[in-house]
Amino acid sequence: MNAQTAITEGHADTPKGNYLTNGSTLASWLLTKDHKRIAIMYLISVSVFFMMGGLYAATIRLELLTPASDLVETATYNKVFTQHGILMIFFFLIPSIPAILGNFLLPLMIGAKDLALPRINLISLYIYWLGGGLTLFALMQGGVDTGWTFYTPYSTTFSNSFVMFVGLGIFINGFSSILTGLNFIVTIHTMRAPGMTWFRMPLFVWAHYATSLVMILGTPVVAITVLLLAIERATHVGIFDPSIGGDPILFQHMFWFYSHPAVYIMILPGMGVISELISNFSRKKVFGYEFIAFSSIAIAVFGFLVWGHHMFVSGQSIYAGMVFSFLTMVVAVPSAIKMFNWTATLYKGSISFDTPMLYALGFMGLFLIGGLTGLFLGAIGLTVHLTDTYFVVAHFHYVMVGGQVIAYLGGIHYWWPKMTGRMYSEFWGKISAMLVFVGFNLTFFPQFILGYQGMPRRYAAYPEELQVLNIFSTAGASVLGIGLIMPAIYLTHSLIFGKKAGDNPWMHPGLEWRTSSPPPTENFDVMPVVTWEAYEFGEESGLDLEGAKRRDAASIA
Amino acid sequence: MSDNNSEHLHMNIPKYIGIFMILVVGTIATYFAATVDMDRFFPGANTLVALLIAFTKMTFVMLFFMHVYWSKRLIWLAAVGSFFWLAIMFAYTMQDYLTRGSGTFSG
Amino acid sequence: MSTHETSDKFVYHEPGLQHQFEDMGQQEESVSIGMWMFLVQEILFFGGLFTAYLVFRSKYPMAFAAGSNHLDAFWGGLNTLVLIVSSLTMALTVYYAQKSNRSMQVIMIVLTMFFGATFLGVKAIEYTDKYNHGLIPVAGLNKKIKDDKAAHETGHEKPCWEVDHNAPAVEHPNPRGDFQWTDCSLVKLAQDKNFLTESEKIGYFVKDENGGDRIDANKFRDKVRIFFFLYFVMTGLHALHMIVGLGLMLWLLWTAFRGHYTSEYYMPVEMSGLYWHFVDIVWIFLFPLLYLLGRHFLH
Ligand code: HEM
Ligand SMILES: [Cu+2]
Repeated sequence: MNAQTAITEGHADTPKGNYLTNGSTLASWLLTKDHKRIAIMYLISVSVFFMMGGLYAATIRLELLTPASDLVETATYNKVFTQHGILMIFFFLIPSIPAILGNFLLPLMIGAKDLALPRINLISLYIYWLGGGLTLFALMQGGVDTGWTFYTPYSTTFSNSFVMFVGLGIFINGFSSILTGLNFIVTIHTMRAPGMTWFRMPLFVWAHYATSLVMILGTPVVAITVLLLAIERATHVGIFDPSIGGDPILFQHMFWFYSHPAVYIMILPGMGVISELISNFSRKKVFGYEFIAFSSIAIAVFGFLVWGHHMFVSGQSIYAGMVFSFLTMVVAVPSAIKMFNWTATLYKGSISFDTPMLYALGFMGLFLIGGLTGLFLGAIGLTVHLTDTYFVVAHFHYVMVGGQVIAYLGGIHYWWPKMTGRMYSEFWGKISAMLVFVGFNLTFFPQFILGYQGMPRRYAAYPEELQVLNIFSTAGASVLGIGLIMPAIYLTHSLIFGKKAGDNPWMHPGLEWRTSSPPPTENFDVMPVVTWEAYEFGEESGLDLEGAKRRDAASIA
Repeated sequence: MSDNNSEHLHMNIPKYIGIFMILVVGTIATYFAATVDMDRFFPGANTLVALLIAFTKMTFVMLFFMHVYWSKRLIWLAAVGSFFWLAIMFAYTMQDYLTRGSGTFSG
Repeated sequence: MSTHETSDKFVYHEPGLQHQFEDMGQQEESVSIGMWMFLVQEILFFGGLFTAYLVFRSKYPMAFAAGSNHLDAFWGGLNTLVLIVSSLTMALTVYYAQKSNRSMQVIMIVLTMFFGATFLGVKAIEYTDKYNHGLIPVAGLNKKIKDDKAAHETGHEKPCWEVDHNAPAVEHPNPRGDFQWTDCSLVKLAQDKNFLTESEKIGYFVKDENGGDRIDANKFRDKVRIFFFLYFVMTGLHALHMIVGLGLMLWLLWTAFRGHYTSEYYMPVEMSGLYWHFVDIVWIFLFPLLYLLGRHFLH
């Protein structure tokens, strides 16, 4: 607090430092309330979970290289894919963009000194560690084998794995996500700099507003659901056990009431990143700003009306299935609006193919496929054939990996110079972006065909005739793996050996580029006053391009 | 919110006591309403009445004890919105349970 | 906002102003929006339980009515009143904070805590009663009652639908502390008057020797147990919120006692108040939904 007060109190003679140099003890990190440092700690922790999830993924793909279940036993295989799903969804994908990039950039983008509730922000990180720690502990005890969806009554009555611990870990972790969302909403409402009106905010911020809504409205429901699950498992009262009057489908309703909206927690932030990248690397004002902004909100709202499309064959009434099917088609509209607007933004833009832009373009193709196959699955007749097959697996990997993970990587590359003050190697960046794209498609496209041919998900063995496509898929996974490991290496390398990035390496007009890289603890030396619209590339945005170039050249030299 | 200090002007002790009395009356009414068999008019009438009273009580608590009445639009939105979301959860869950195996689609 | 004199060297900080805000107005607005978002989150948290309640209640209304008749509406009603009084004293705490009246603040906080504690005390009485009568839905957690013959005579030979539910509670033998339920008179009633739901027709009956339907005490018990499960989870989580609220009050008491809150700065009081009222509101719904179902069957 004292160090910070000193800064707020504006001693002009304090040496110009940045958030990274402001304190180097462990305590200065663990007790920080600086959103940028918290974001960095999230980055590190989330990456650890990403790596662990990746190891499980590798195991799955290796097992599926051959038709027989030979690498791991079938029971172990159940645990492997379950833990892959849990780590990736709850501990990597959900916090990925919001807690890292959102945390880091939201205050910078709207011209605030910090998030509105910095202490809550730090608490959310600790909760994340606690929930993650508990889950890891459970995994070391022997793990879970229920699938990430914890369907009852298997999870409550039959599975003899560590459902309780993992459930508790997810319960706790949920509150980390809720607090992040809460913080973002408050920040966006109250912390905008003078002149930063709602419709001057970058679309990244809008996307995070929508995400936060989902986090606040949905996450508590899954929290109570897994709590009930844990109690039921401990006490066997039978609320989810059909043999004594309980109702397993109720569990599915409650679970998907959150978990469908949760897929929007896993894509909206990515869409926000893509809006930034597409507009900025086309050097063109984004097309249909209001439409993209409101479509985010629409997705957040309508996303709550379609959860039953995960339950078409689970015993839900056919009438309900039809309603959910119809609404599923409707909810695809706002996503489509975004796609159209991004495409229109590209049109006649002066596009530069830097690494982040490669990711953005990759996103557009992959999310398109992912979204369209979602419509296949939402069609109530078709899904009877496709549900619980590899088609579903391919669908959600196209949206979650092809969408969110690629957007996340694009975002990390794009804002890396801002976060660290260093530039990574553009050469390796491009190579890895292309490897990721190729590897991803090679991994998951065959799975559409496999699923269509009837290969069910969640089995360790499969018929001989499906082996060729599975080999493709495993080969693709290796390429994808290499593509994902490379950034870890060259980004780390750039921390020390990368060339100085300068304040605005991309010459972009957003507020975050108008402070130094890395930014000072208080983000801006003087409180910015915004007089320009978002994505204004001309002189009217007050962006002194020539001056910035000169300064950068000087600072790099 | 910046003119928070003017908030005491809105409520005074007699008003607080008045709201309190309404709540007490509501509680007693809830009890006695439950002892009368209203379900003979239509099924669920008892519950409906109980919920109507509960909603009224809640409205008074929110508006006056929690000062929503004098709060910004966003607070209103939060209060109303969260119940709207609950309604979504209830309605879309029940549209499944209430249509199981019935009507055109049965069998 | 009131302005304060500023020295030329330091930007003056109002008491309690955090560094990320420009002024008190911004801070208060942020905190209040944050608190409301937290409450939204809480509403949906309890909402999940209410969904479960809704589903099971609509499936097994008679089991819920029967279970509810075994809750004590007197204690439940009393607790409702107790909470309402505590809400009043909480509201007055805020009022006196706005008036910068320290001693009344402290008195009101103490009263609020007193009523909060009373509420928890009553709950403890109720829970104990359920424990004594084998109504805790978890096997083994009820009072274990030896199998002596004295209790045997009373009700066990009769079929479950002829148990007189107005009779004083008898202690049935319960050597393992199971959940116990012997009374399905309401099912009989509903069957006679023909308002059983479809799931009840399946859920409470077994086929007898002649292919007819016979009420099955055990199947009915399982459904009543679900009611008690929801009762304990809902009131238990509510009580947990009360305990957290009491902790909050303790802190508030200390700070109010130290004179932290004046008409200039009383955000913490107001925010704790919001939380306290929210917990009250939850109870306003729990009371009729848990305690008062099927009351009219008792008369
Ligand atoms: C364009 C809109 C989308 C539509 C119409 C859609 C539709 C569907 C449908 C109908 C299913 C159920 C398939 C089945 O089990 O038979 C499904 C599954 C799934 N979707 Fe989507 N989806 C969309 C976007 C997304 C997004 C953006 C994500 C995540 C970022 C996502 C993640 C998932 C996941 C994880 C599952 C599988 C859940 C499980 O484990 O069973 N979807 N989707
Ligand atoms: Cu879905």
